Order: sequence, then C-alpha cells, then structure tokens
Amino acid sequence: MFLNPWSLALSLCSLVVLLLGAIAGRTAVRVLRFWEPGSDSNRQIRLENEIWLSSTLVAYGLGFQIITLILFVLAADQFCQVIVGAMCATGALLANPFGMPALLIKLVGVFFYGFWILLHQLDIRSEHYPLVRIKYLALLLLLPLLVLDVTLQTLYIAGIKPDIITSCCAVVFGEDIGRTANLMTGYSQQGLLATFIGSIVVLGLLGGGLLQRWRSWLAKLYAAGWLWFFGLALVMITTVVSSYVYAMPFHKCPFCLLKPEYHYFGFALYGTLIAAAFCGTSPAFAGLVRGRKGLSAIVARYQRLALILSLLLLVIFSGLSFYHYLKYLISGGEG
Amino acid sequence: MIPKNIEKQLNILDYALSSLWRRRLKSLSVLLVFAAVIFLLASFQMVTQALTAKAKQLLVHTPEITLQQMSAGRQEAIALTYSHQLAEIFGIRKVVPRIWGYYFDEVRLANYTIIGMDLSEIPGNALLDTTLLSGTMPEKAEQGKVVVGQSITKSLELGGRLTFSLFRPDLSLKSFEISGEFAPDTDILSHDLIVMNLADARDLFSIPTGLATDLCVYVTNPQEIETIAKKISAALPGVRVLTRPQIQKTYQVVFGWRSGFGSICLLAALAAFAILAWDKASGLSPEEKREIAILKVLGWETGDILAVRFWESVSVSGLACLVGITAAYIHVVYFAASLFRPVLMGWSVLRPELQLLPRLAAGDILLILAFTVIPYLAATVIPAWRNATVPADAALGG
Repeated sequence: MFLNPWSLALSLCSLVVLLLGAIAGRTAVRVLRFWEPGSDSNRQIRLENEIWLSSTLVAYGLGFQIITLILFVLAADQFCQVIVGAMCATGALLANPFGMPALLIKLVGVFFYGFWILLHQLDIRSEHYPLVRIKYLALLLLLPLLVLDVTLQTLYIAGIKPDIITSCCAVVFGEDIGRTANLMTGYSQQGLLATFIGSIVVLGLLGGGLLQRWRSWLAKLYAAGWLWFFGLALVMITTVVSSYVYAMPFHKCPFCLLKPEYHYFGFALYGTLIAAAFCGTSPAFAGLVRGRKGLSAIVARYQRLALILSLLLLVIFSGLSFYHYLKYLISGGEG
Repeated sequence: MIPKNIEKQLNILDYALSSLWRRRLKSLSVLLVFAAVIFLLASFQMVTQALTAKAKQLLVHTPEITLQQMSAGRQEAIALTYSHQLAEIFGIRKVVPRIWGYYFDEVRLANYTIIGMDLSEIPGNALLDTTLLSGTMPEKAEQGKVVVGQSITKSLELGGRLTFSLFRPDLSLKSFEISGEFAPDTDILSHDLIVMNLADARDLFSIPTGLATDLCVYVTNPQEIETIAKKISAALPGVRVLTRPQIQKTYQVVFGWRSGFGSICLLAALAAFAILAWDKASGLSPEEKREIAILKVLGWETGDILAVRFWESVSVSGLACLVGITAAYIHVVYFAASLFRPVLMGWSVLRPELQLLPRLAAGDILLILAFTVIPYLAATVIPAWRNATVPADAALGG
C-alpha cells in the first residue's frame, strides 16, 4: 500500500537517508584508502574537509532516522484503520512478517548512529584525529544496517493489503489462551514488577559505585545491566504499565501510549528510556577507545557526564513508569 | 547560568538570523516558495483528515449490517421472507426492510435520493426528529407524507406549497405532501434526500410486495457484528453482507488512496523546490565567500559554519511551516478547501455545502514536516558544506 501519505513520507525519508548515507560512504572509502595524518598534500586537505561533510551527513541521518522511527509507529497506527481486524498499531505491525523486524532494526539503528556520532565527537576533540580509521570502518558497517532498514520497511509497506484479517492487540497481548500470537503473556505481573524494581535498584547501586571510583569492569557490567534493563522495560511497559495508563486491564499495547488520547505519554516514556539506555551503555563503549593517543582525559570526562545523565534519566523514567500505577493504588483508579 | 555549549549554539543562532536578515530578498524568495509547497501538502492532508473524520461520524448512524441480494454480480431486490430466517440468529435486534433508490426528475434535470423505510421500526428512532428543521417524520400509517432535504424544496420550486408529484415508471402521477424538512447541518446526507414510508416508495418505484432493495440488520452488541455477519452469510449464501466497520475501512482506504495520489502529484513540486533550495544555497556571491573567509581567519571552525547554515535552514523551514500550515488551515476551514475538494470528494455536479474541520494531531504535523522539511534540509546540507570549506586565502584574494 504505497499510495498513502504515510507510506510515501516514510519512503521519501528513507530515500533521503540512503542518499546521505551513500555520500558519507564514498568519503569513508576514500579516507580508508588515502588518509595520511602527517601529510599536507592536497588530497589530505580535501579529505580533512570531507570528514566534516560525512559527519554532518550522519548527524542528519540520525535525526531523520529518529523521525522515521516515530513516523513508522504512527503510520502503523493509521494503517490499522484500513486493515480489517487490526485495532491498533500492534495489529498493523503484525499484519505481515516484516513489521516488527523493521521496527526493531529502526530502534537498534538509533543506538548505532548515536554511537557513531559519539565516536566522531570524541575524535574531533583530539588534535590528532586518532579515531578516523575506526570511525570510517564503522560507517561502512552501518550502511548495510541502513539498507536492511529501508528494505524491511519497503517490504512491510508493500505487504500491507487493506483487507487481510489480523489479530488486534487485545488478542495478541491478551490473557486468553491463544495460538502462537501470544507474544507477551506467561509473565507473572508481580514477578515482573519485582524484577523491574530490583533492576532499578541494582542499576542505581552500580552507577553509584562507578561515581565513587571508576573501574572499567564495573562500567562494562553497568552497560550490560542497561541492555538487560532496556529489554525488561519494554516488556514491562507492554504488559504492566500500558494497561494502567489506558485504565483498561485487557488493553496491553506498547504503541497506543503515543496517541493524543493519552497525552502523548509514550513519547516522554520512550524518550527517557532510549536516552537513558544510550547514556548508560555509552561509557563502556567510549572506554574501548580510552587508550588512544590524546583521548584519555576527554573520554573520562564524557564517561562521567554520561553516567550522571543516565542515573538522572533512570530516576525520571522510574517516576514516569510508576506514576499511573501509584495513582491507581492510591486513588483507586480513574477519576 | 546557561551551559557553555548551549550558549555557543544560541550565539550561532543569533548570527544565523542576522545573516538571513542581511540577505532578506534571497531568504524571502525561498521562504515563500517553501511555504507554498507546505501549504499544498498540508491542505491535502487536512482535507483527507477532515473528510475521513466526517465519514466516520456519519457512519455511526448506519445500520450495523446491510443485506443485499446479488444475482449475476449485480444487486437485485431482496425478498422480505429472509427476515424470518434471520429471526433464528441470536443477537439480532431488528431487521428493517428498506427501499433505496434514485429518482431522475426529467423536468428539472436533477437526481433525488429516495429512501423508503418504516422509521418507527428503527431502534432509537426518537433521535431522528432531532435532524429536522421543522415538521415530523412520516408515520407508518400516513400515506403520501414525505420529509425532504434543503435543496429539494428549492429544486421543485415549491414556494409556500406543501404538495408535489413524481412520476411512477408507467408515467402515472403520485402525489406527496411535505411533512417536514431536514436541518441544514445534516446537508452532506440529506441534501438531495426524500424520505417516505415503505409502502409509498414501493408504489413510486412499482416494486412488487414482498421485495425491498435491502434489509437493514440492527445488532444489539457491536462486538458481535462480525459473528452475526458470518452466520448470516452462511444462512443466506446468495446475499451480500456489508458490515459497518467494513464500510468505514473502505472509506478510509479510498480517502487514503486519493490523498496519496495527490501527494505523489505534489512530489513534483517538492522536487522542484528542493532543486531551487540547492541552487540558492550553492550560488555564493563574492561577498559571502569573503564573509566565510573572514570568519575562518577569526578562528571559526568548519563545524561552526555548518552550524550557522543548519540554524539558517531550520529557521527558514520553521517559519515556512508556520506560514504554510496556517494558510492551509484557513484554506480548509474558511474556504472549504476549494482547491482540492473536487479531487477528494468525487465528481458529482450537485454537491452539498460542507463544513470541514480538521483536527490536527501532532502526528499529522510530523507527517507534513517529514514530507517537506527533511528533503529541504537534505538539499541544503551539501551546499552548506561547500560554503563552509571555502579556503580562506583564496576567498580573500590572497
């Protein structure tokens, strides 16, 4: 179903990002082949100019990808109105096998582009450009991810037929014993809640320990903890938090949170979660290049900043995710 | 205290705005064309949104399931005896036969929509009277009483009279008396409508007793619509079963399709604009080159000049969006989207007056931004980089 403004906008944005990626990729190949830090040849000066272009292009690409990620979920929400049987974005995304993978790749992509920009920012802070080769190798590795993203998205849009019957989220995430479609059942709510709270406490302790004294193994543990917490939080939002926001026990959908009916609550929730997970995992990532020439002070400063930010965002995220739950416990529900 | 980084960006934004102001003619021309492109796209989006919402709002009052007899792929009159078969299906509240047809008035060259139905049988019929400007709906026993839409009174040139006549198929006359008139705010449905009771409609169109054009099935619980529809189609194999959600989805697809088609047409305008933006951004005058060179000599980095260009693009697109979207809203709400209505509403000659009221959600605005701002930013980034990497010595004539 390409003849729809949402599909067109998504395809247009993807084409633009691909184009920007291709131009940046060309620079990457040239840098990998011809980069000579000590030289003052014409080619080297041109290349030093070009790395500005490629980093700007990737920064734009990241911004555009974040927009397409939001657009993709909103588009799925629109598509559900034309797919018979789908009641919200969940149904629309499950309408064919490419929907969920496309969403996941987009989400993963945001992290990877973010890491690349972090690498670039660290690199230009040092006079020697110590990370140029690594950076451009990484850029070339990012391009297949971008192509995969665009391919999955195109296959998804092409596969949407406005008359197929899909299960809506009430069935998919619902309690009743269904078939294979039960993605998110089988978790006990109380157990999940306890794990969630436990994880928050452990993350807080780890972060506190890191603030006291920086140890690289602890930073890695902290990053791993954030990866675990990111997955856990997504499950938690879907199965526990969402139905308290909707005030409907059987509506367990991670996407309807983004709608105006719920005051765009999802944007705040997912925005903090993604930013927090990025800040939480990136210190360990930056630690990988700490040993490079002229970078140790810069990396150390960034790591500390990211750590503090991740802890702050963790507090905000916990507050947001427990707000409706506590409100329900204290005031006994809506109104 | 403002953090240093943000303060730097604020200063760069300040510089970008003053630089836009210094080149105000060039900036204004890009701004106006950009606003026009956004205006076109946003209008299209808003009309689609308003029409879809309107269709949804109107379809709430249609029967949950409509049954039509099909024969050789065409619709035929349906036998009333089917309703006895339907009575066995649990969950059906009421089955009401309806005659729905079009009457072509050869004298005035106009088409009227005729609905013949015993309105007292419809669940919730008390509400029907609220759609009337004056009078009452025809009772089942009252022969020859009709309720008409606004344009019918005008078209028939009735003046103060309440009676008029229409021809049966055998050209004998059947006379009617107007018992009420629909309110103007139901115009989109009732504008060319004549409502009468079933017997009168059957008489007017000479439809044999025991037949109707379709059967309206009212269902108590909306959750059961699909199940009951399946049961009906199993019980009556030759009958087409239309459910309300299906009709809603069809409308959505049609509006989405048309809006997508319109957007594709506008992509040409967008591409033209992107080329214009590219061109405007890359054509540097000697003064501009000198300006960049001086900045570089003063210690600005390539990244800072790129940031200036970025903030320029963002300011231009932000302002253009504001102008374009506001103009589109005015166009849709106060001028009823007169530029695009024919494309989106079909090609009928007699069309009702229509009040469109788009409700813009944040998602729609994001869609418009994705359509316009992203191509613009992408089109200006490479020229911006070329500007930023102008070698200082060459530009200063050294």
